Amino acid sequence: MEGVVPPGTSTQSEVPKPTKEERVDYMNLPCPIPYEEIHRESFMSLKPELFEGMRFDFTKLLNPNFALSHSVYMGPTAIPSQSSETIKIPTAQYEFGANFIDPKLMLVGRVLTDGRLTTRVKCDLTDRLSIKVNAQLTNEPHMSHGIVNIDYKGKDYRTQFQLGNGALFGANYIQSVTPHLSLGGEVFWAGQHRKSGVGYAARYETDKMVAAGQVATTGMVALSYVQKVSEKVSLASDLIYNYMSRDVTASAGYDYILRQCRLRGKIDSNGCASAFLEERLNMGFKFILSAEIDHIRKDYKFGFGITVGE
Amino acid sequence: MASQPRRGGVSLPERRGAKSGENSSSVIARLRESPIVLRGRQAACDAAFVTKKLLKSTGKAAWIAGTTFLVLVVPLIIEMDREQQLNELELQQASLLGTPSQPPK
Repeated sequence: MEGVVPPGTSTQSEVPKPTKEERVDYMNLPCPIPYEEIHRESFMSLKPELFEGMRFDFTKLLNPNFALSHSVYMGPTAIPSQSSETIKIPTAQYEFGANFIDPKLMLVGRVLTDGRLTTRVKCDLTDRLSIKVNAQLTNEPHMSHGIVNIDYKGKDYRTQFQLGNGALFGANYIQSVTPHLSLGGEVFWAGQHRKSGVGYAARYETDKMVAAGQVATTGMVALSYVQKVSEKVSLASDLIYNYMSRDVTASAGYDYILRQCRLRGKIDSNGCASAFLEERLNMGFKFILSAEIDHIRKDYKFGFGITVGE
Repeated sequence: MASQPRRGGVSLPERRGAKSGENSSSVIARLRESPIVLRGRQAACDAAFVTKKLLKSTGKAAWIAGTTFLVLVVPLIIEMDREQQLNELELQQASLLGTPSQPPK
């Protein structure tokens, strides 16, 4: 993005130096991040996929575009129970998946041993219009759901319409206001649960930091701040407040991306400390370790795994 | 029979005089019932109670701090140490061979 050096500053003084204060060209603002990815950096740093037990993932590329994946998971799964104790039942599952990735079309499908099928389709119809479909089908009745998103990307704005089953309608819009700040809003209506809401979001980003905030009439307020301390280290913090149920959670964490590994650690105001380590071993696969300690509920979860392929 | 409400179960019940036939004004009995000794016993009970609670809460705090440190900080130290070793190795190789070495895959 080219900026214009303000004229007239150098006529009487010395040789013009390139100043940091360039005039902002409001006609050429960058395209903003999609609305649902407003908290993307803090989400990636603070919410790794913690798990308990053993995990093994294998991805094999048959073609430059097509890949098959096999995944085995064995470990205790928590059953939501009404009492304060968590009940864990050991389970084992195998998941088979196929991915087809093209510049214009992406198809991802996964099947689990308990009969659940998850699919994601993303299709770029033109340069600006794209359609995404997310669906999950299960054996149990009334638990399947699907959602279709239609995105339009303009020069410095994005809009999206959502249609889901259960009479779910949604729309959102986000616009770049300055080269660093973008503002957006959303509206949704869920027929089955008779809920509707309006929300607003704002995101301010520079090279070194990203701050994002989101408010919705469902009672959710989410604020996040990520500071990139160096190219290997970033620190993130996040606050989620529900003003209907007066429930607050604050968390802070670090994200170290080193050459051989990626380590993410986080501590929570619910008394949870967690860490997630992905280490690249010499033989071309990744070794994962996950740890989560909940001091209040005395629930300790540790897991390990191996990922082969990407 | 305890003469004060039970707190932590540390306090000892007041004992009736075992020697019931004795003259109640003997020196030892008088000393035991004197207010100074009573106050001293009460203070000792309180001190024992408070010390026990303090030890327990210090123990709990030490446990929480220790396990949180183990999960959050120890992997970080290990990984930073490995990164530093890798850097030194690369520096050594670069200075030996005179060319920048490739990072291991």
